[in-house]
Amino acid sequence: MGESIIRTYDLWKRYEVQGHNGAAIRGVEVDIRRGQIVALFGKSGSGKTTFLNLLAGLDVPSAGRIEIDGRDLAGLGETGRTRLRREKLGFVFQFFNLLPTLTALENVFLALELTGGADAKPAVEALVLVGLQGKEHRYPHELSGGEQQRVAIARALVKGPPIILADEPTGNLDSATGAQILALLVERCRAAGTTLIMVSHALNTCDYADRILRMTDGRIVEVHSCRELTQ
Amino acid sequence: MNFLQPLKITIPPQAGHFTTLRRKNSHACIRDMISRLHRFLMSCRPTTRPLACHTAGDLFRVIAVAVVIAVFVLLPPVCPAAERWMEATAPRQWSFPRDHGSHPRYRTEWWYFTGNLRDGRANRYGYQLTFFRYGLATEPRLPANAWSIRDIYFAHFALTDGVRKVFHHAERISRAGPGLAGAKRTHMDVRVLGWSAVMEGGRIDLRASHEAMALALRLTPAKPAVFHGERGLSRKGPGPGEASYYYSFTDLRTEGTIGIPGTTAPLAVEGRSWFDQEFGSNQMTKDKAGWDWIALRLSDGRDLMVYHLRKKDGTVEAESSGTLVEPDGTSRHLPLSGIEMTVLSHWTSEKSAGRYPAAWRIRIPGAGIEVTVSPLVAGQELVTKAAVPITYWEGAVKGRGSSEGKDVTVEGYVELTGYAGPLGGIF
Amino acid sequence: MKSVIRSFLRYLVRRRSLSTLHLLGIAVGVAAAVGMTLASRSALRSLEEAVDFLRGGATHTLERPAGPLEEEVLARLATDPAVRSLAPVIDRQVRLEGDEKIRLLGLDPFLDREVRSVTARIGRSESDDARQRLFSAFLFDPRAVLVDEGTARRLGLAAGSTLPTSQGSLKVVYVFPNPTGEPLIVADIGHAQELFGLRGMIDRADLVIAEEAPFRARWDKGFKIESGRQKTETLTALLGAFRLNLQVLSLFALFVGVLLIYNTAMFAVVSRRRDAGILLAIGASRRQIAAAFLVEVLILGTAGGALGGLLGYLLSGLLAKVVGEAVSTLYFFLKPSALPWSFWNLGGGIVLGAAASLVGCLPSLLELGRVEPVRVLQGRTASRGARKTTNRVALWGALCLAVAAALFLLASLHLYVGFAGAFAFLTGASLFTGLAIVWSVPVLKPLFGSVMGLSGRIAVGNIRENLGRTSVAVAAFMIALSLSIGLGAMIDSFRTSVVWWMNSQLRGELYISTKGDVHVPEDFYEELGGIAGIGGIDIFRNVQITFRGKPTSVTSIDASVLQRYDRFVWFEGGGENWEPVKRGSVIVSESFSRRFDVKKGDRITLDGVDGPRELPVTGVFYDYSTEHGVVMMDRSTYLGLYRDRTINSLGIFIDETNPDREALIAEVKRRARARGLPVATRAEFHRRILDIFDGTFAVTRSMRILAVIVAFFGIAGALMTLFLERRKEFGIFRALGFSTGDVARLTVAEGVAMGIVSFAMSVIVGTAFALILIKVINLESFHWTVFYHFTLQPYLVTGLTALAASLAAAAYPVWSVYRKYPVVQIREE
Repeated sequence: MGESIIRTYDLWKRYEVQGHNGAAIRGVEVDIRRGQIVALFGKSGSGKTTFLNLLAGLDVPSAGRIEIDGRDLAGLGETGRTRLRREKLGFVFQFFNLLPTLTALENVFLALELTGGADAKPAVEALVLVGLQGKEHRYPHELSGGEQQRVAIARALVKGPPIILADEPTGNLDSATGAQILALLVERCRAAGTTLIMVSHALNTCDYADRILRMTDGRIVEVHSCRELTQ
Repeated sequence: MNFLQPLKITIPPQAGHFTTLRRKNSHACIRDMISRLHRFLMSCRPTTRPLACHTAGDLFRVIAVAVVIAVFVLLPPVCPAAERWMEATAPRQWSFPRDHGSHPRYRTEWWYFTGNLRDGRANRYGYQLTFFRYGLATEPRLPANAWSIRDIYFAHFALTDGVRKVFHHAERISRAGPGLAGAKRTHMDVRVLGWSAVMEGGRIDLRASHEAMALALRLTPAKPAVFHGERGLSRKGPGPGEASYYYSFTDLRTEGTIGIPGTTAPLAVEGRSWFDQEFGSNQMTKDKAGWDWIALRLSDGRDLMVYHLRKKDGTVEAESSGTLVEPDGTSRHLPLSGIEMTVLSHWTSEKSAGRYPAAWRIRIPGAGIEVTVSPLVAGQELVTKAAVPITYWEGAVKGRGSSEGKDVTVEGYVELTGYAGPLGGIF
Repeated sequence: MKSVIRSFLRYLVRRRSLSTLHLLGIAVGVAAAVGMTLASRSALRSLEEAVDFLRGGATHTLERPAGPLEEEVLARLATDPAVRSLAPVIDRQVRLEGDEKIRLLGLDPFLDREVRSVTARIGRSESDDARQRLFSAFLFDPRAVLVDEGTARRLGLAAGSTLPTSQGSLKVVYVFPNPTGEPLIVADIGHAQELFGLRGMIDRADLVIAEEAPFRARWDKGFKIESGRQKTETLTALLGAFRLNLQVLSLFALFVGVLLIYNTAMFAVVSRRRDAGILLAIGASRRQIAAAFLVEVLILGTAGGALGGLLGYLLSGLLAKVVGEAVSTLYFFLKPSALPWSFWNLGGGIVLGAAASLVGCLPSLLELGRVEPVRVLQGRTASRGARKTTNRVALWGALCLAVAAALFLLASLHLYVGFAGAFAFLTGASLFTGLAIVWSVPVLKPLFGSVMGLSGRIAVGNIRENLGRTSVAVAAFMIALSLSIGLGAMIDSFRTSVVWWMNSQLRGELYISTKGDVHVPEDFYEELGGIAGIGGIDIFRNVQITFRGKPTSVTSIDASVLQRYDRFVWFEGGGENWEPVKRGSVIVSESFSRRFDVKKGDRITLDGVDGPRELPVTGVFYDYSTEHGVVMMDRSTYLGLYRDRTINSLGIFIDETNPDREALIAEVKRRARARGLPVATRAEFHRRILDIFDGTFAVTRSMRILAVIVAFFGIAGALMTLFLERRKEFGIFRALGFSTGDVARLTVAEGVAMGIVSFAMSVIVGTAFALILIKVINLESFHWTVFYHFTLQPYLVTGLTALAASLAAAAYPVWSVYRKYPVVQIREE
């Protein structure tokens, strides 16, 4: 396999909830290689999303260390982390999280613009790649859920980030659409050599992954086959 | 014109000390006079540009005086003055100092001073201070109220600065009011809002000031009064009453101070002045285009006054004449035929485009006088730009020549009217 | 960056109705401030213009310290070397039919042309002939007058008309233009003397003076010399407290406006919170988000400000009129003309709107900066934490109140300190809103539950749950209602105090003529004195003077009569205070005492005709006749000081027990009318004073209305936002079986509940505010004590206003419910 692109060392995230201490992430250590498609399974509340947010620098770990592309997130500071999100990370959310006041094209272009791009052409191409040709100027509420998620994928891909983090990308879609989206997402990532981390509890995600992780009570274990998950 | 209508409304019963008949007449007359007065008021804007309003009419010197008064008086239909105003119809028994005072039974009256002055460095100055009284009514309606109008008083004040070649003038106007203006009947004591001419002990004190212009002079007659015309009855036209009473002090020793705008301290000056007093009720005629009036003092002690009345048809009025006063005070009348006046040059005003005579040769063959005179300052023209534009020239002059074969120097005053446009747009 | 901004700005378009409400809210707040400022400025400018117009070219005026000036003085003035021009003036009033009073100037057209153009313009537009006739009539007809255009038009006068007045019929000879709009009659000075029985006297001389200092030195004793600037200053000073109050009123309106903007900004943040989360996640920096938000707020603020500037300009026309009327009744004639339109109005409005928006959005901006994308994207709202912060905010409120209290203690330092205290108080009070809502829920829930069932309970719950949003709207509304209650209660208390004062001080049976009115001939006073059975006649004269450089007034009365019949209320002592007054000492009003710090036992120096004179002060009495203070003295003292025999008015006192009372009253009335003097019974006189009083507060009332309008937009905006935010819940409601009517009721209930909480708070805050106005602001600006007096009316009116505003504010959401609810489904965004 290739070099490491994401590494965590004894990662902890604790919460203080009404006097009693809890932890969402307990000593997680993972090493994810460039170009890997990783599926992260876990029940609701197991800490998956928290883990993703930590990786994205949106949340700060209570203890431990995260290295993205060999650089310590903690050392980057807020500005560095913002730049990291701009340049190295793409996000795909369960609820799509498109800006409701921007059209499909504008939502995609927004990501480009944040990295300093002024040319809308890649955004148009990205929308074509996700099969939304002709719907560039629609607002999110004028699109179906699947289409919205395609926009979100285009938004994540358009700037060509080395890493895409997907939080339950199909969680809000019917299974047929979900499958299409998943296929699309994985296909695009493979084509671009992008590392993809998908958080999910939909089992079919497993079929697309190079590597399977399961998160239980804030800890991550390696799973070697899809079958193991159902046990 | 229906006078009755406004009359009924305007004259309240309690004010009626006229009879009904007279009320009508008086009202019409007053109205007429007032109209002219009002034009005058409207034509002269405040403070800055005084003298220059008015029109012409009279033949006599009376310079601005005449100018002002003419506006009121010249016009037809002159009030049925015979009814209330006395007229100059016969030669007068003069009695001084009483006759230096006011003659309120005559409608118009003026006290007119002009003079040529020098300071310690022999710089030349000219001054003019004139007081006018004009009767609007023979009696005030409400004698107990000081504001009730009988006469209106004006005064004109001008200074000619021969050093800086500048001309300054100012004017004042007031009804008698509570001691604001007036003229005593017993002797010369004329005042208009702080400007005054008062004769006491045979000497006349003149006082006037306006902003930086100021004047405080003491005048002492060096010769007795000279009566013009027939014992002071000076005819202005062929009709009855077209005349005024008119006398002069042609030579007054003058000393005092003047304040000239642009200088700081008052200047001590001395020189000679000329004084005219004239009163009458109906002395103007209206066929005149203007007049040239010249009053000169010769260095040999003779004083000469000549005037040409220019008629509208271009001729000179036959009544035009002059007066010559000898050093001993005796005077003689100079008929028009005895006066030769030649204009030597002209000056054209930039303001009014009026073309004025600017130098004269005057010959009085019968008296052996031949002099040439020219203005001390060219621009002694008064121009008004207000509703009724009237323009005339009035100023100090100097010159030289010969008298009885001897060289003399000359100074004096000249008044020129009717050269810049009509003699008053009012006509 | 552009896309970020664009994404925010599109909300303005997408939520048009909400944006419109917010825009209008800002606009009205700004309009109130701009309108009041402009009205105040136009009043001031008109004042200067009026002074300039009548002053013309005069640099100074010379008059006696009190009463008319002997005309002989003019001749002396004419010879004074410093005097370039002088113009005598008689400046009086005549009464027209219908009781209208008009200023009449007596002028000398000859002297006046050096100073003013009025008389020189007689007949200007006419033919020569007509002009001459007019001028002649003016000079010689004792009844001839000139009348200004406005008055002529109003009264249907033209040249030739007859104008009946208290001084007999006047004949209009000419109508002249008066740019100041002041009704004006001009007569020849001699005629004016006769009209007013002033032969030998004038009121003042207008002068053009070259060198002021030597002139003043020569005319120091017995004369009052005022430069044009001083005149304007005096008039401006007369208006000082009045103007300041206007300005502060407009600031209150702006204060509510800022709260409103805060409200707006906060709602904007709420709806942008999720977007901010997304943007952060995809790599936008917080600064970019803050900037985008700022742009949005500024656009709203700028547009609202611009609109406010425009509205304010329009409003200023109305306000100026109201202000002009109040000033005319109270001080002197003033007819402010609308200021010409200037783009500065727009600029000022924009600056104000933008600045207020910046201030108002600052807390929200900070909140936006703290957005945690993780939580936001998971759909958690921050308002849940509001409960905790409620107490903290209330603590800040308490601190503000403490600051306010401290400021009130220091209020005597300067009026502004008092005003700062009032603002601190209002700020403090508004910070308690959250707590008030929390406390009121246990009361409101069962109340609304019992009236409206489940909808009502949910509504109250919603308000409680969305505390962060509702509390600001409630605060803005509450402050506006408090202003309304406070101003209302203050006016009512004041009115009650005035009534009390009138009943104690103005106890005459009849009042003949009034201050500033037609003067009463002295022989009429003597004539009345001859009627047997009259208990006493108070002979009243009031003049404005300058004391220690400030305008104030002197009143002369008959001390013996007042001692016997009136019931002055004194700071110390009682009726015995009159004894020394009869012997030459003076008493002063509360305003005078406070303004000049003069107390019983002090001595004051007044400039009389014979120079300065020292007078002992032997009493201080309550008085509301003028905030500039009154020095009251017996007529004998007054005559000695000023030798002014003018009488403004007579008060007729008749013993209650006199059996011939009615007959006596009728007799006095008859004789007064025969003289053409206006007569008022005590009741009529009191009513007139109250009319004037009410007129004075017209401005205050209009500001009250403005505050409520601002508040309306606040509460409407709040309801609308709540409604929009909650629309997605509608699917759930529908699924649960709520009918359209239920949801509509829910919406109405929310509005009403917020209205009720606001009103309940405003009852307390408003009353406290009234007390502040009375005990601090009024005392410091008008220097008089007003006694708080409870009346129901302001509370009732405000309560109804609150209810109406809440219902009206709910109108759009309810309409929207009826339109959209039937088709909503459960759906995530």
